[in-house]
Amino acid sequence: MRNNFAKQKGAGRGDIVLGIFALFLLYLLYDSGFFTAAAWSDFNRRFYQNFIKDSRYMMLVDGLKATIFMTSGATVIGVIVGLILSVIRVAYKGGVHIPLLNKFAETYISVLRGTPAMVQLLIWNFTIFASARDLNTQYIAILAFGLNSGAYVAEIFRGGIESIDAGQMEAARSLGLSYGSSMRHVILPQALRNVVPMLFNEFIALLKETSIAGYIGIDDLTRAGQNIQALTLEHSQPLVMVAIIYLVIVLFLTHLVRRLENWLSRGRRG
Amino acid sequence: MRKFFAALLVISSLLIISSSSFAEDTPKLRSTDQLKTERLAAQRGTVGQFIAEDMLGDKKSSLLTTYEKYVDAIAALRQGKVRAVVMDEMPARRFLNDVEGLAIMKDSLSEENYAIGFRKGNTELVSQVNKALEEIKSDGTLNKIFEKYYGTFLAGDASSIKPEDIDFNKGAKGGKLVVGTEAGFAPYELKVGSGYIGIDVEMCAAVAKKLNRELVIENMNFDALPMAVSTNKVDMICAGITVTEERKENMDFSENYVVGAKQVAVVRADDYEK
Repeated sequence: MRNNFAKQKGAGRGDIVLGIFALFLLYLLYDSGFFTAAAWSDFNRRFYQNFIKDSRYMMLVDGLKATIFMTSGATVIGVIVGLILSVIRVAYKGGVHIPLLNKFAETYISVLRGTPAMVQLLIWNFTIFASARDLNTQYIAILAFGLNSGAYVAEIFRGGIESIDAGQMEAARSLGLSYGSSMRHVILPQALRNVVPMLFNEFIALLKETSIAGYIGIDDLTRAGQNIQALTLEHSQPLVMVAIIYLVIVLFLTHLVRRLENWLSRGRRG
Repeated sequence: MRKFFAALLVISSLLIISSSSFAEDTPKLRSTDQLKTERLAAQRGTVGQFIAEDMLGDKKSSLLTTYEKYVDAIAALRQGKVRAVVMDEMPARRFLNDVEGLAIMKDSLSEENYAIGFRKGNTELVSQVNKALEEIKSDGTLNKIFEKYYGTFLAGDASSIKPEDIDFNKGAKGGKLVVGTEAGFAPYELKVGSGYIGIDVEMCAAVAKKLNRELVIENMNFDALPMAVSTNKVDMICAGITVTEERKENMDFSENYVVGAKQVAVVRADDYEK
């Protein structure tokens, strides 16, 4: 029964994916005036200029590397920070009070979620790390995106922990485990399983969010497209190419998340 | 399948909307005076923006659009979103070389001088750089750089200039000389592959050599450059920056290295009657 359902749902998603690709394809066709031979050769010429000549595609490859590097680093920081914050918040509710920590976590989450990532990035680079000149700017970006993401991940984890039946904690405590060990050995392993797909989604969101890194001088994928624009003075092809690259990665990751979700839920049935 | 067709429908309607042209019965442009009531574009933070603001007066909020990159402003011009782009003459000439259907209006809007910008009060570096500039002016190095770019580059032969050929004085004993720029302003600065070329880049390389320091280029958005130099993120900014009284209040400048650079209006060729 479940498999049938999955199949049907998969077909529906396929249509959407197809539609999105058709959109880009048609845009490219439209942009080139595909339907005349002269326009087709002009499209080819511009494609050659934008991506092939002088190995300009390498600018996109380098940009993609920077984007993936920043996203991965930021996700790691985000997960660590988020885990710590969420445990502080949940422990407070569960009656474990450590002075000031809960207040700190609350403030952190509301400040970082209440201000735009772009503004935070500029503040990190031009105010907090104003004098750090030999530090690679990408590390500053990783820190800024990671700490920002941590505030969101904290809420994801908190939701995951709170979704675990209260009876689990009660059972663990009544068996004599301390609050900390109950959390570590009973609650968190179950909660993690619930939140892994959402963490992947956070990674996907971060991937797109890092496109603002150009503002502090990092040549990420988006900025690489703009650099090609400045080089060839052509506005549409580089940007559409950048969009396609993002889309392909995001679709691939989304596919992975679905597989992961299925895999996790199958484990639960057994 | 239904969704696929739905997508097709949406796309084709979008295409039809965007390709339909609106009838134009407005008279063609003849002089820059006409621009005072037209929609204009400029790159954010540039002198082009200030000039356009002056021209438009109190209508600037509705008529002026500022973009992060020149390419975007030119795209808006070609799509008819604006009537003219106010920008520096040399980069404008490069656009005319590489993009069809553009023209530069004959009467220029103003003349400017370019200089290198420093953090306010960084007098030691200013005098060092001034001395180096004086030396490369008098020994002909600077002139050679200008000839190279005004000749080869603006003639459309950009590929012959390779970033690897520029000596960044790697490993110099005097430490790094970090220069902020916005590398979308050819022929002054341009990112090529993973390196940089341009008049400013080669000039800074020559200056760095005189100072016995290694040149490091930081490529940023133009409107972030003043912030970067005032917070010491970079030692100096070299990005075809025009010296203005307003900027002098927040920044120190070197001696001018370009005198009389023109600010011009770029328009569509079919919209301009010479």
